[in-house]
Amino acid sequence: MCLAVPMRITALDGFRATIAVEGLEQECSIMLVPGAGIGDYVLVHAGFAISVIDEAEAQETYDLIREIDAFDEGDDGAAGDDAERDGGADRAPDDGSAGGDDCR
Amino acid sequence: MTAADDLACLAAELREEAGPGLTFMEVCGTHTMAIARYGLRQLLPEGVRLVSGPGCPVCVTAMADLDRVLALARLPEVTLVTFGDLIRVPASRGTLAEERAAGADVRVVYSPSDAVRIAAAEPKRQVVFAGIGFETTAPTTAAALLEARAAGLTNFSMLSLHKTMPLPLRALLDLGETPVSGFLLPGHVSVITGTACYEFLAREYGIAGVVAGFEARDVLEALLMLVRQSEPEIAIQYTRAVRPEGNVVAQRLLEQVFEPSDADWRGLGVISGSGLALRAEFADADAARRFAVDPGPTLEPPGCRCGEVLRGVTDPADCALFGARCTPEDPVGACMVSSEGACAARYRYRGLDDA
Amino acid sequence: MPEHRVTDRILLGHGSGGKLYRDLVKDIFVTAFANPVLERLDDAAALAPTGRIAFTTDAHVVQPLKFPGGDIGRLSVAGTVNDLATAAARPLALAAAFVIEEGFAVAELRAVCASMAATAREADVPIVTGDTKVVERGAADGLFITTTGVGEIVVAHDLGSAAVRDGDAVILSGGVGDHAVAILAARGEFDFRADVRSDCAPLWGLVEAAVEAARTQGGEEAVRFLRDPTRGGLTTVLAELTEESGLGIEVEEQAIPVSPAVRSVCDLLGYDPLTLANEGKMVLVTAAETADAVVAAVRATTYGRDARRIGFVTAAHPGRVALRTPFGTRRVLDMPIGELLPRIC
Repeated sequence: MCLAVPMRITALDGFRATIAVEGLEQECSIMLVPGAGIGDYVLVHAGFAISVIDEAEAQETYDLIREIDAFDEGDDGAAGDDAERDGGADRAPDDGSAGGDDCR
Repeated sequence: MTAADDLACLAAELREEAGPGLTFMEVCGTHTMAIARYGLRQLLPEGVRLVSGPGCPVCVTAMADLDRVLALARLPEVTLVTFGDLIRVPASRGTLAEERAAGADVRVVYSPSDAVRIAAAEPKRQVVFAGIGFETTAPTTAAALLEARAAGLTNFSMLSLHKTMPLPLRALLDLGETPVSGFLLPGHVSVITGTACYEFLAREYGIAGVVAGFEARDVLEALLMLVRQSEPEIAIQYTRAVRPEGNVVAQRLLEQVFEPSDADWRGLGVISGSGLALRAEFADADAARRFAVDPGPTLEPPGCRCGEVLRGVTDPADCALFGARCTPEDPVGACMVSSEGACAARYRYRGLDDA
Repeated sequence: MPEHRVTDRILLGHGSGGKLYRDLVKDIFVTAFANPVLERLDDAAALAPTGRIAFTTDAHVVQPLKFPGGDIGRLSVAGTVNDLATAAARPLALAAAFVIEEGFAVAELRAVCASMAATAREADVPIVTGDTKVVERGAADGLFITTTGVGEIVVAHDLGSAAVRDGDAVILSGGVGDHAVAILAARGEFDFRADVRSDCAPLWGLVEAAVEAARTQGGEEAVRFLRDPTRGGLTTVLAELTEESGLGIEVEEQAIPVSPAVRSVCDLLGYDPLTLANEGKMVLVTAAETADAVVAAVRATTYGRDARRIGFVTAAHPGRVALRTPFGTRRVLDMPIGELLPRIC
């Protein structure tokens, strides 16, 4: 447990927040994270924001995820190539995140 | 570096640094799902075994409790509102989906607030919300309860089947059935609880725990952190979302609305203090008190070994029903129904002759 | 123009076969579908097909009737054209049977017919015959449409799972999940707004181009199998294919296009985009050496711009579909079970 999705607060009216991510927009309550503000990324579970996410760290993860998800328009459509996909993958992720591992 | 490279790098470090005979247990259904979805077991070195513990709130709900939910749904004045997760779970005599087909008013929602909206829109119906989930979800149902109160709704009530995390870990360890080298601790439950509640694992049992996120790299990074610990301690890999103190507002809300109670865990039996029951001042919103229902006799499906699977004692493939009598299309036990149940997740690996 | 007056709402009398019915048919259906065969208003349409024919039927019960990217009208025509296309059949003629709920707004019916007509024109196929019944209020969800289609098969061999061979290429004509998510958003059961439109579209042009390219590159029997991933999604098509053919399939997760908005909705509600319904996509299995040519040909068509090869047929793991993740690991794809349910866990 449990499914929670990071989304950005784009509007706020009391505890009623409008949140958005990549082509999706909805509302949630920020009653559990009353200090959250417009522009913050929050983790949303069952219609409630449960945590404010550290943006710098989040960005790094999302870059990795979105790069995985992105499909390259310029691709000739041949899957099964041994070469890695190109789509922006050569960008080095931000430094200074948790984990203490050396894989960078 | 690409994401695939990044993961390969983490996997390589794990291979290099992990000793033999390590068993790590994850106790969160969403971790079970993520591990299956990304095929992470295929990246682990020989000496590292990942087992599933009692982390799926649907799977650990006792049969008697499920029967109670169905009994409520059968009441003609009741609109039973639930998360999608419960709809197909087999109770003693059928599922909520079957009750709905037989005429019960059963509705699926994404948020407990939607249940409150239904109650407001349909004042003649008795709207009962089935509250399952751990500490991640309980604050949201608590908030919904307060919303209903603030709106003066008298037709909204909930059946709390909520359970809390740390105690079953203690119960599991005390059973002494599986040696656990470390725990992958639940990422989103910990957003709420913080990490203090897990300290006893290291202090009293000498077992390490790392709070992990849900992306593939989060899990591998957390395993690496576990492997690297020289002294067992509780650490956070999922630092972008989890703080050691947790979400204090949510914790206060839980204390305001709920109190610890006994809870019946499939596979572990009754663990005192591990459930969340509505406090006396919210008795009017407690479906258990508002409706007298007879759930009928409890029938455990014969041959079902969900309990052992949930304790990490039995691998799903070792259950005689697995893949034969018990499949995702026709499940016997909860572990096969829930997409994050250990059996359902394990089922996805059968047939591929790979590592 | 014949003189008749049609009321604002459909009445039970409109289904009774008398003057009201005749007026309705002429004013709404004949006007919209406008073709010489239909205008004869015979009980059966006479056709003159050449060669082998394909024959298919589909009932359409979508709710809501109108959604971003289409409506039940477009859906019903495209759906049948696409079913014919899976047999490599050029659509020759369609029939449409309507079951209408008493009280249904005539203006809405006109709009649905206009949509059907536009889609039929796009697919270059006439709607030559039909039927209308009206049922009492409450007995139908507004409007049900059943479309039946006849098409001329343009290949000499039998397409299907039996034709598929080890090493064949598996090609997908574009991104998945759009139709299901558009419908979900339009139904409003879960409150969200997504930048998603149904992909509902007639695909004969796409299939014709693919068949031609495969034939040119690899000979008469190079095209093996065609199926559109509707209910149950891509996963169901692939799983059925392995079950029926006794072969295995491996696909690469990263090769399967999913739009960011669809992915976000799936993350939110716990859905798998590969199991979601599409109404404007095609899965094509062709001989390996024709894959590049087929993909290029499909990409040159209106609805195939995101086409790509997503995997291959294999003799390994018969009866199983393996998905290779971006991390090089593999998992099995199983057919989804029944109802699509959101989850919080």
